[in-house]
Amino acid sequence: MVYSITNQLDSLLDTLPDDIKVNYRRYKRVMDVITKEADPLVGQTPKEVIWTKNIAKLYRYQPQSKKTNRVPILMIYALINKPYILDLTPGNSLIEYLTNLGHDVYLLDWGTPGYEDRHLKFDHYILDYIPKAVKKVLKTSEASEISLLGYCMGGTMTTIFAALHPQLPIRNIVLLTTPIDFSDAGLYTKWLDERYYNVDKLVDTLGLIPAEMIDFGNKLLNPIGSYYGPYVSLVDRVDNEKFVTNWKLMQKWLADGIPFTGEAYRQWIGELYQQNKLINDDLYIRGQRVELRKITANLLNIAGKKDVIVNPKQAEPLNAKVSSEHKAFHIVDTGHVSVVTGSKAINDIHPMIEKWLTQNSN
Amino acid sequence: MTNTLPFDPFNMWKTFYEQTDANWTGVIQEMLKKESFSEGMGETLNHYLQAQKLMNEKTETFLKSVNLPTRSEVADVASLVINVESKLEALEDGLEEEINQLKIAISILDKKIDKLLSTFEGTEK
Repeated sequence: MVYSITNQLDSLLDTLPDDIKVNYRRYKRVMDVITKEADPLVGQTPKEVIWTKNIAKLYRYQPQSKKTNRVPILMIYALINKPYILDLTPGNSLIEYLTNLGHDVYLLDWGTPGYEDRHLKFDHYILDYIPKAVKKVLKTSEASEISLLGYCMGGTMTTIFAALHPQLPIRNIVLLTTPIDFSDAGLYTKWLDERYYNVDKLVDTLGLIPAEMIDFGNKLLNPIGSYYGPYVSLVDRVDNEKFVTNWKLMQKWLADGIPFTGEAYRQWIGELYQQNKLINDDLYIRGQRVELRKITANLLNIAGKKDVIVNPKQAEPLNAKVSSEHKAFHIVDTGHVSVVTGSKAINDIHPMIEKWLTQNSN
Repeated sequence: MTNTLPFDPFNMWKTFYEQTDANWTGVIQEMLKKESFSEGMGETLNHYLQAQKLMNEKTETFLKSVNLPTRSEVADVASLVINVESKLEALEDGLEEEINQLKIAISILDKKIDKLLSTFEGTEK
């Protein structure tokens, strides 16, 4: 019945003015995109699981392809959101780009924590998970050195890990939009002020911090743009199929958040955002002091000029703290997500990372 | 009949959004920066958490009274499984280490036997 009514409406359209026809078709297409069409496929670069621990998985990408770069790359992503942003879709994937050029790429996927994982802290992730993953990567690749690539919070974790493991053969570190200095984190510094934001009560009550709560905080940075902007853009450019595909991919990823384990959140907000311990060498992980000067690996640190989640001022101070001989800091004309996905990333940033890794791996 | 409309509703909506964004973003940003906003947000969160805590406690009491497991109890079972997995992993690592040591020992032994054999062969000649 609904079908016949729709058909009748369609034939009625022929009698109406052109503008109404165009607008009706546009409206219909927008509604189809939002309500009917299936989610786009993501993370399509072939991969195999080479190790698991609890809910975490270590993937090796395109294992059958020829590896011409002798230093494997381990990607470490944030504990929130899903890591397929690094392998969004063919032609728009950092992982695909690197593997196609002969790099041996691995990704540590933290998985989606359940209530039983609420006690997991950075201590567990950095001292129990990452070292094992590094060991597995070195063994699988039969390599003697490794490159680490950390994105956002994953970059912070990578930095802490590297500082705590100077004995490991870490050749290169690539950091994307990585917060290290939390003295001025923009609006977050104001909102997370410990006089008003009671992180302990939040963690004690909820155990696991819902993804929606994290997402709300991010969207609050620019409420009108975050909530309405995407739909205005969709209506405006719905006739452009490429735009619609990218729009669906991005909306899927943005809505696909994962909860933050309570104890890790307590450290992230309490010790980093509220007390800024990392840059001041005052952070302790399972009793070990994190001293950034112990990092000696080559460092490529990239921040986004338009990034409102991690501003470049939060990333830059790391370069002055590490002991690396070869270190570079770049501010690119992107935001927090467009540093890895989209035309700017594809044309400029992916090649920049690849070139730097190749130059520093021989 | 004319083929155009006096206005385009989508363009009108877009213009409305753009003007709202241009006019209000500054005002909203200023509000978001204010200490009173952080204070208000903190207060709201505390009230929410207080209500949530009460609800958690009541739910737990109810579930216990009807002999059903609480979320924490279910999570505890999952934790036991994770612990078993961790122990298996430790065993696997230990075994791997032992095998590696054994391989090294066999390799050394192999070399020693080769040396002995060549010594014997030399003596026989």
